[in-house]
Amino acid sequence: MRILVCCKVTPDFEALRESEWAAGAGSESEARVETRFTPRVLNCFDEAALETALRLSDQLAARGEEAALAALSVGGQETEPFLATLRALGFERTVRVSPGADLDFRPAATAALIAAAARYLGGGELILLGDRAGPGDGGTVPFRVAEELGRPCLSRVTDVEAPADGRLRVGWTADDGLRRATISRPCILAVGNAVVAHLRVPTLGDRLVVRHHVTEVLSPADLGVDLETAAAAGTCSLMGLDPVDRSRQAELIVGDTSRDRARAVYDAYVRKALEET
Amino acid sequence: MSEVATGNGPKTVVALDGTCGSVERQARALAGFLRGGVHGDVCVETWVFCDDVCAGERLALLAPTGDVRLAEMPATRPDVMAAVLAEALPAHGVELLLLAGGATGTEVATRVALRTGGGALTDVLDVEPGSEVAVCRRDVYSGHMRGRFALTARPWCLSIDSSWQDALVAPALEHRVLGVVDAVAGTGPSFLEDVELAAPAPDTGIADSRFLVVAGRGVGSSQRVRRVEAAARRMGAAFGVTRPVAMNAWAPMDRLVGISGARAAPALCLVVGASGAPAFYWGIERSDRIVAVDPDEHAPIAAAADAVVRDDGVAVVEALAEIVTRRRSKGRRTT
Repeated sequence: MRILVCCKVTPDFEALRESEWAAGAGSESEARVETRFTPRVLNCFDEAALETALRLSDQLAARGEEAALAALSVGGQETEPFLATLRALGFERTVRVSPGADLDFRPAATAALIAAAARYLGGGELILLGDRAGPGDGGTVPFRVAEELGRPCLSRVTDVEAPADGRLRVGWTADDGLRRATISRPCILAVGNAVVAHLRVPTLGDRLVVRHHVTEVLSPADLGVDLETAAAAGTCSLMGLDPVDRSRQAELIVGDTSRDRARAVYDAYVRKALEET
Repeated sequence: MSEVATGNGPKTVVALDGTCGSVERQARALAGFLRGGVHGDVCVETWVFCDDVCAGERLALLAPTGDVRLAEMPATRPDVMAAVLAEALPAHGVELLLLAGGATGTEVATRVALRTGGGALTDVLDVEPGSEVAVCRRDVYSGHMRGRFALTARPWCLSIDSSWQDALVAPALEHRVLGVVDAVAGTGPSFLEDVELAAPAPDTGIADSRFLVVAGRGVGSSQRVRRVEAAARRMGAAFGVTRPVAMNAWAPMDRLVGISGARAAPALCLVVGASGAPAFYWGIERSDRIVAVDPDEHAPIAAAADAVVRDDGVAVVEALAEIVTRRRSKGRRTT
C-alpha cells in the first residue's frame, strides 16, 4: 500500500509572550505575528497522522505485506530536521515543497501545492494529513485537496486498522459520537484526536542508516502551480488581527501550607460552588 | 429563550444534517447564530437533510426559521449534502449558507464553496454580510488572536463556531414546508461501508458540570493525574484534562477540555497544572469562577483566573477533597 502523509512544521505558538501577540494586532499588512525566531514544532494533528501511517505499516509488515511510506511538507528550510527524523522512522521518500512565499491564511494555495505534489508522487492509495494546522486552524485543507484530486475524504479520524481482507477499518469522531466504518481506497483521511497521538522516536542507529538520504525539494513551478492563481481561488482574505482579552482579577491565595491555601480556596470558592451543585 | 427573527437582506440558507444524532444541537447553535452572530438583515430559510421526507417533516419542527425545505439524502453522506447544495444554491439565488460547527459543517462548507466558486470559512464567530463582501471573525493562532476575514465571491459558505451550541434560542413557533429540494442524480456509492456508531458521544458530565476540576501537563505523571481525578470525584466534581495530558495517554481523549474537546460553563473551575493555552481556555472561559493552582508564577493561566494558588496542584486538590469530605460527614452527623 502506498501511503502519503502530509505534515506541517509550525511555530510553537505557546512559546510566544503576550507582548508578542499584542504586537501582531493590526489591519491588513500590519497584521502579522512575528514568529521567525520562535521554536518550531510538528503540528500535533500531523504528528498523529504520521504515527498512524507507521502503525499501519507495522500491521501490514506483520502479515508480510509492504507499505511504501512517503512524507510531504510545504515549508521552508526549518522543516528539514523533522523530515530527517521521518526518514529515520521509515519514510522512504521525503519531499519538501518550498513555496517561496508566506502561505499563512492561504489554504487554497496550500491545498493546490499538496494536491500537485501528491500527483507528482504517484497519488498514493491513502493520503493522511492532520485535521487542521495553525495559524489558520480552519480545517479546510483536507477537503480542498480531496476536491482537487476527486477523492473521498473523512476527517477527525482517531485510528486506522488494516484487517487481512486488504481494506481499512477506520474510527472517527462524528458529530454524534465515535463511528467506525470500512473504507475503500483511494481516499484521504484527516487525523484528529487520535488514539495514539505522539510520533515514535528513532534510535541513533535508525538515524545513521539514512544519514546520506536527502529530501527532494520542489518549487511550485516544478509542480505546475501558480501560487497567486491558486490563492485567488480561495476568495477569502485576512483583513486584520485583534488580540483576545481573557484577563480576570487573578487574586493571589496565600497561606503557609498547602492545607492553609486549600482552606482559603474552599472558603472563598468551593463551598459556594458545592452549595449550588 | 427568544425566537429568531428574519427579514430582508441576502438570501440565506441554514442547512441541518437531519440524518445525524446531533441535529437538535445543530438547530440550537444555528438559531443562536442567526440571532446573535449575523449582523444585518437576512432573508433566511432552513433546509433539512433527512433520510426520508416523513422524518424530515418531524425534524422541520426543530428549524430555527419558519420557512423550511426538505432534502433527501442517505445517512453519513456529507458529500451528497454538498452536492445537493452546490447544485441548488445558485438556482435558488442563495448568497449565504450557514452550517453548524463540526466535521460535517467543515466538509460541506468547503466543498460547496469550491464547486460554486464561492468562499468558505469555518468556525465563524460572527458575520456581517455587505453589498460587496461578507466580513467574518474567527479565532486563529490556536485562539491567541481573533482574525477578521473578507469573503468576496458568493455564496459565502460558513460553518459556525461550536460555542454557538450554548445558545438558548427557541425554534420558530410555526413552520411552513416550502417544498422538497431535488436530490442530485448520479451521486456514487459511499466509500464508507458497514458504518456503525461505535460509541455515542460520551457523557463525561464535563459539559453540564457545576464544579469542574481540570488537570494539565504540569501535574507531572499519569499517576498524579489519577490522584487529581480521585480527589475531584471525592468532591463531587466533574473531571477533565488538557490536550497534552490526553496526548500523553494519562487520561482518555473523551476527558479532553478545549477546542477539540468539551466546553463547560461551571460555577467553579479548578485548573491544576495547566498553562492556560487559549485552545484549552476556550473550554472553560464561560466558568463563573476560575481558580488556578500552579507553582509557575509566569503561567498564562494566572492572569486569566479569578484566583491563583502558587503551590503543587495535587497537594492542594487532595487537601481540598479532604476538607470537603470532612465538612460533608460533619454535616451528616449534625443532621
